[in-house]
Amino acid sequence: MPVAPAAFLDPALLAKISDLALLARTVVDGFMHGQHRSLRKGSSLDFAEHRSYQPGDDLRRIDWRVYGRTDRFYIKEYDADTNAGVLFALDSSGSMDYGSGSVTKFVYGRMLAASLAWLSQSQGDRVGLATFTQDLNEVIPPSVRHLQRMLHTLAATTPKGPSRLVHSIERVGLLSSRAGILVLITDCYERPDALGRAVDALRMNGNDVIVFHLVDAAERDLPGDADTTFEDMESGALLPLKPDDLRNKYQTLIRAHHEALQSRLTAAGADYVRLLTNEPLDRALHAYLDARLTRGRVR
Amino acid sequence: MGLGFLVPAFLAALAALAVPILLHLRHRDRDRPMRFPSLMFLEQLPIRTESRQRITDWPMLLLRLLALALLVFAFARPVLKDKRVVGADNRTKAVVILLDRSMSMSYTGVWPRALDSARAVIDRLEGKDRVALVAYDDAAEVVQRLTDDRAAVRGSLGAVQPMRRGTRLAPALRTARQLLLDAPFAAAEVIVISDLQRASASGIAGVEFPSGVQVRGIGVGNGTWVNSAVRSLDARRVREGDRTLLAVKARVQNHALPAARQVTASLTVNGREATTASTLLTRDGETVITFAPVPAPDGAVAVRVALPPDSLVADDTLVAVVPRDDVLRVALVAPSDMSASETLYLQQALGIGRAPQVQVERLTSAPSNAAALARTGVVLFWDMAPDASTALTTWVNDGGGIVLAAGRRLATRRSALPPYAGISFSGLADRVSDRGGTLRDVRAEHALFAPFREAKDALTAVRAWRYPRGDAVPTADILARFDDGVPAVLEQRIGSGRSLTLTVPLDNQYGDFPLQPAYLPFVRQLVLHTSGRDATPLWLSTGESWSLPTTLTNPVVTGPTGVLTRPQADSAGAAVALPDAGLYTAYAERASGEPGAVQAVNVPASESELTPMDTTELLLGVRTTSTAESAASANTDASMTVEEMERRQNPWRVLLIVAAVLLLAETILGTRGRRGMARRVVPGTTSNRSTGGSTPAGP
Repeated sequence: MPVAPAAFLDPALLAKISDLALLARTVVDGFMHGQHRSLRKGSSLDFAEHRSYQPGDDLRRIDWRVYGRTDRFYIKEYDADTNAGVLFALDSSGSMDYGSGSVTKFVYGRMLAASLAWLSQSQGDRVGLATFTQDLNEVIPPSVRHLQRMLHTLAATTPKGPSRLVHSIERVGLLSSRAGILVLITDCYERPDALGRAVDALRMNGNDVIVFHLVDAAERDLPGDADTTFEDMESGALLPLKPDDLRNKYQTLIRAHHEALQSRLTAAGADYVRLLTNEPLDRALHAYLDARLTRGRVR
Repeated sequence: MGLGFLVPAFLAALAALAVPILLHLRHRDRDRPMRFPSLMFLEQLPIRTESRQRITDWPMLLLRLLALALLVFAFARPVLKDKRVVGADNRTKAVVILLDRSMSMSYTGVWPRALDSARAVIDRLEGKDRVALVAYDDAAEVVQRLTDDRAAVRGSLGAVQPMRRGTRLAPALRTARQLLLDAPFAAAEVIVISDLQRASASGIAGVEFPSGVQVRGIGVGNGTWVNSAVRSLDARRVREGDRTLLAVKARVQNHALPAARQVTASLTVNGREATTASTLLTRDGETVITFAPVPAPDGAVAVRVALPPDSLVADDTLVAVVPRDDVLRVALVAPSDMSASETLYLQQALGIGRAPQVQVERLTSAPSNAAALARTGVVLFWDMAPDASTALTTWVNDGGGIVLAAGRRLATRRSALPPYAGISFSGLADRVSDRGGTLRDVRAEHALFAPFREAKDALTAVRAWRYPRGDAVPTADILARFDDGVPAVLEQRIGSGRSLTLTVPLDNQYGDFPLQPAYLPFVRQLVLHTSGRDATPLWLSTGESWSLPTTLTNPVVTGPTGVLTRPQADSAGAAVALPDAGLYTAYAERASGEPGAVQAVNVPASESELTPMDTTELLLGVRTTSTAESAASANTDASMTVEEMERRQNPWRVLLIVAAVLLLAETILGTRGRRGMARRVVPGTTSNRSTGGSTPAGP
């Protein structure tokens, strides 16, 4: 019995796959199975070199202009493997360890990063990874050969400790002088203005920025009943509250925060994608491919 | 039921109960806290403070409050003042009867009155009142401890009899005090049933009873009394031709005789009646009875003088032991070229005194044969080296005594002295320039210095201008030194005998000792001690102890009542207590054969003085509440102070134990289960994100 492709994108199912490479391939294959093939043409067409025509070469690839000047057949080569550098910045602070269901935000973000990296690799992009909490923890520079290392690092990372999101983004922007695609995966516990300024700086360097804002449903709605003591997962501080009495106010604050984030990051030129951790990954992949194609059209 | 506190000031510490309450309000234990990604938005919510400050763990709070309160109450020393609750059931009136059973109580009619008085006291007891019976003479004996069994007390009363002993009330009072302290009482009474002799009051000053104890006396003696008592006797040996006779004089003290009384006194020697003497006793005062001299047996002689019985029979006889030979012969061996004046003081001093009489025989050399030595008690070498003859050595080993009085001749002698000299001389110390040397480090406890125990400074006035300087041999016992450390008196035990060496001058050329009052008793004690015949009185009094002769090995003593005693010897020798009047006989090893020593013991002469004292005067030295105060307190519940009630209840111990148990339970509860995981809630900043993420968040 054939399995619907969307089933491969269900986070709850994917979380049971421990091999990130298999997970990523499953996600990407499942995702691409339902996509139009033309989408795969959106690869880089940067000129690499000329070489002499060999029998069997596609005649359409002969550079006729060179033939006009030199009266010889040359084939025009394009460097499709290194057409873009994609750096995934994954928040690995303690707050990412939260999950009301079977999937925590960090697990979801890890699957997301692995899948996107696999997809990027399949399109010839260079992929890299940076995990951060208060500062950068692990940094893997973008490269066509770093996918396995990236997946291994992702598997070995555990979320823990407090975070300094703005500071970490600033450090990520300094990692490479070449413009590329920066995929920021975080729960965005930061003031929108501060986060927007950090993204502004990235955009000023010519980077395409995609912000995946991971949200757990309980985190959005405020769990608990009459008397609940909340413990901050990063600082350990406790706060006794009555969630029933405060839930509406809390949700209002959260909504305002989400809207402010979307407004500010969009204004900064970044792609802001808010993902609930119980959502399939395809929406995230779509968002990524859209951004990737947009970048291709620009060049 | 009244509740009081001994130290109510400690109750102020109850204010400390606010501490756990405040802590419980401020420190809320986390009850399964819910982990949440960030409190960034939750902290922005309006939170009512009063709703947060509430106590969530009432059981723990109550546990802690209770433990703290119990601690405070324990330190405040609570006491229940209601006697029905406090234990009045076991705190009844206690009566201690002190019954005098000394010799004086055997005066005609006194003892029956004493028994009647004691029975009357017992009969007057009410309910569960308790009574104890203490019989006393020189010492106190608890005949019956505090009990409400009056029949038992009456029974034990019948077993008490007057004894031929003295009277000392102080030990009895202390015994009564201890009896009362050992058992709780609501009111107590100490009743002294006695003939209230003045001599019995010695030592009662300072005896203190707890409050609520009433001390009173019941006098059972006669206001007027008639008595004749043999107070003392004088016995000495006299020579009559070849015989040695014993001349005995007895002194009889008469009191309030109706008329002069013709009596016949008897003299018993070694258990056999030797003679009698008829005399007329005066109504009052002393009468001397002189017995005709009787043949004196060899060795120690036990003498008993008896008058016809009168109202107080026990003091109509007196016993004494006359030492084996009344004459102590001292062989004074002095150089032939020495003038007689050198030993003049010594000879004159030794010639004074009797019992024993000292006879000094001046010689130029020590007796050389055993027979001559056997008649000699002490051989005193005056500034000349003692002979080392076999006869002398054997004599000393068998118990003889040698005194070596060293002077300038011995100090400059080059040849060695016999080993029993105990010292090697190295010259003459000249202390003329610094006003002479004085005696220091005098072993006052030694028998040689027994005459000076009551006058310890008597020998320190002695000054010596010149004296031999020398070093004592290790086996010598230094009994006194000069102030420059030179040995002044040494003693050495040689077999059964002893040798004493003196460097302190006994003449008046090199010192002033002969001019000092201590000289005569010293030289007399010197020869007595050296001869092994330390001056002993003809009798001792009941209550004293008898130091047995050191010549007795493993001694055993038979008393007047036939009781055998085997005293343990210590560094000072063996001694035996003398509770009863009569003759004590000491043997070596077994109580058979020839006795080693005999000691006479009489009741103190004061027992014959029957004039009673006033009760108040007798008990004046006893410290307790006044009579009026005691009488008042005996009829009220105030007889027991709050301190005593608290001491008997001791509730603070229970409170401390309960508090400790509660604290232990609190510890266990606080470290187990969900409380064991509790952490302190720290309201406040929980994330750095609200501040823009520019500062790190603390844990």
